[in-house]
Amino acid sequence: MRILLAEDERVLCDQIKKLLTAEGRVVDVAHDGQEACFLGATEPYDMIILDIGLPMRDGTSILKEWRGNGITTPVLILTARDGWSDRVDGLDAGADDYMTKPFHLPELAARVRATLRRSSGRTNPLFLKDGIVFDTRSGRATKDGVPVDLTAQEVAVLSYLIHNAGRLISRTELSEHIYEYDADRDSNTIAVFINRLRNKLGADLIQTMRGRGYMIEPA
Amino acid sequence: MLSLRSRAWISGGLSALVAVTIGTLLLYSFLDQRVLERFDRTLSERHTQIVVALSNVPDDPGQLAELIFDPVYQTPFSGRYWQVTGPDGQTYTSASLFEATLPDLIDISDTLTVADSVGLETEQLRIARQLITLEDGSTWTVAVAEGRAGLIADRAEMRRSLLAAFGLVALIGVVTVLLQTAAIVRPLDTLRKDVAARWDRDEELVETDYPEEVAPLVGDINTLMQRNRDIISRSRRQAADLAHALKTPSAILRNELQSLSEKSHDMDRALDALDRVDAQLGRSLARVRMANSGETTFARTDLSNSVNRLSRLFSAMASRDGKHLTTVCDPDLGIRVDAQDIEEVLGNLLDNALKWCRQNIAFTARQVAQGIEVIIEDDGPGIAEKDRPEAVQSGARLDTSKPGTGLGLAIAIDLLEVYDATLALEQSRTLGGLAVRILLPARLTRS
Repeated sequence: MRILLAEDERVLCDQIKKLLTAEGRVVDVAHDGQEACFLGATEPYDMIILDIGLPMRDGTSILKEWRGNGITTPVLILTARDGWSDRVDGLDAGADDYMTKPFHLPELAARVRATLRRSSGRTNPLFLKDGIVFDTRSGRATKDGVPVDLTAQEVAVLSYLIHNAGRLISRTELSEHIYEYDADRDSNTIAVFINRLRNKLGADLIQTMRGRGYMIEPA
Repeated sequence: MLSLRSRAWISGGLSALVAVTIGTLLLYSFLDQRVLERFDRTLSERHTQIVVALSNVPDDPGQLAELIFDPVYQTPFSGRYWQVTGPDGQTYTSASLFEATLPDLIDISDTLTVADSVGLETEQLRIARQLITLEDGSTWTVAVAEGRAGLIADRAEMRRSLLAAFGLVALIGVVTVLLQTAAIVRPLDTLRKDVAARWDRDEELVETDYPEEVAPLVGDINTLMQRNRDIISRSRRQAADLAHALKTPSAILRNELQSLSEKSHDMDRALDALDRVDAQLGRSLARVRMANSGETTFARTDLSNSVNRLSRLFSAMASRDGKHLTTVCDPDLGIRVDAQDIEEVLGNLLDNALKWCRQNIAFTARQVAQGIEVIIEDDGPGIAEKDRPEAVQSGARLDTSKPGTGLGLAIAIDLLEVYDATLALEQSRTLGGLAVRILLPARLTRS
């Protein structure tokens, strides 16, 4: 799952990015409002964490512009403005959730997971299918009760397919959601990750539609 | 201080009263004189009639009574008399004098003089008398008299008829004063309404919309309104900048401490200290914001809209936790409290209710005789009656079992105090838990 983090404080960015990356998310960072607005409008993010008090352009106007242009990516506002009026304004502008600073990192991680789960229409954080259990909260998987060791990129691929279970995902779309903005995107490596996941979790979990992409059937 | 309208009414009323009184007195005096002149003219004509009659019978004045046929002269004490005194001192009178005579006539000359006197039975008389020298050289005193009762009655009748006219004039004067006052004061009334409306719409007043006498005041009001907005927005901006400048490093610090804590370093005391810093920071930032609220806030806030906004937010938050918020709000509730301030108060109280309720929260806002009443109730454990005074003391925190700074209620009370609004803790009669009752006084609800 690919997330845009729009926050001007670089140390805080590093802390949040580290947290989300550890959970198998791919995180792009924007340090000012203009960059955030551009990336949010042009890249296919699964979620955006948006600071309201960004330099060059404030977060509320960016969010309104995105929503006005039909961009429905879930947005979690992360801001020092803790007034209830600010919260209502933020949610009315189109935000899906609102968190105020200072905050606890585990709570932020939980809110991100909940937001992603809501956007995919899933209510259960656990994916259960054919003896396979994947915990979307921790990125950990077991097969027939035995823990399976997954790399960060394998977690990213599996998470995206599970969040979009029942939908055909092309290699291009998959690569757009598991690589950072400036990463070298080689869609051939997607096939490598898929093979590794099949070897670890069983060949039947991920179906290949030749020439079209991959799909996981809903649990 | 006496209002301009009262001043105009009083001064206009007094001016009209003085004008009408002086006018009435002058007109009465003039008309009294005219009535007297007419009376004297008639008296003079009667005097001439007696003189003519006397000149016909100078040798036998006893025939005068027969020559003068007016029956009033024949009726005793009819109020109309004549009296002739010959050169020999012999006096002849009308039958109406019966056996009496007119009062002593002094200062008689050959010029007709008319004067008031008191006659028979203290009757008020007006007497015309003159020394008349006939052709034979004899000199006679000829006097005619008439009771003044008729004159007084004529004057009274004239005054009565004029009084109604002057009453009408006075009424017209009063109506004119009222109309004038309304016309003069109207721009000020308009200005007052415009100031309230422009505050609400955040617009400036247009000087050319007002009379030239009021226009400079309008300019001053514009300046004051702008200065007021600047003060509020500067205060808000400072609070927001300060919040951003302090809370972001605090978040970084907390995350670093948390990270160390997860690596088995004992960070509990440091995290506890940071919690206290964050709580104090929240309280101080709230105080910075409210420093320029209250006295400087005149904008009218749509309270019903604020209630609905918060209801939307907290309904969503409640339903995520499997809880339920019921909102009942009168339409079109308006209040002169800054929108952010009232939403902060209600948001803090709803947040507390959401934390402590078991299942249900009720949120009510309605117009009452004393102002607007807002009640937030829950079905949680409530606060024991003995603990309520402590709970409403600033900064008190009774229970630390729920997350948060515990400052929501204290900040709400601080903000309400700025606007002279009151907050009371009670037991909810419908839900059984805590009921927080806020009364926003009537002065905050006026248009």
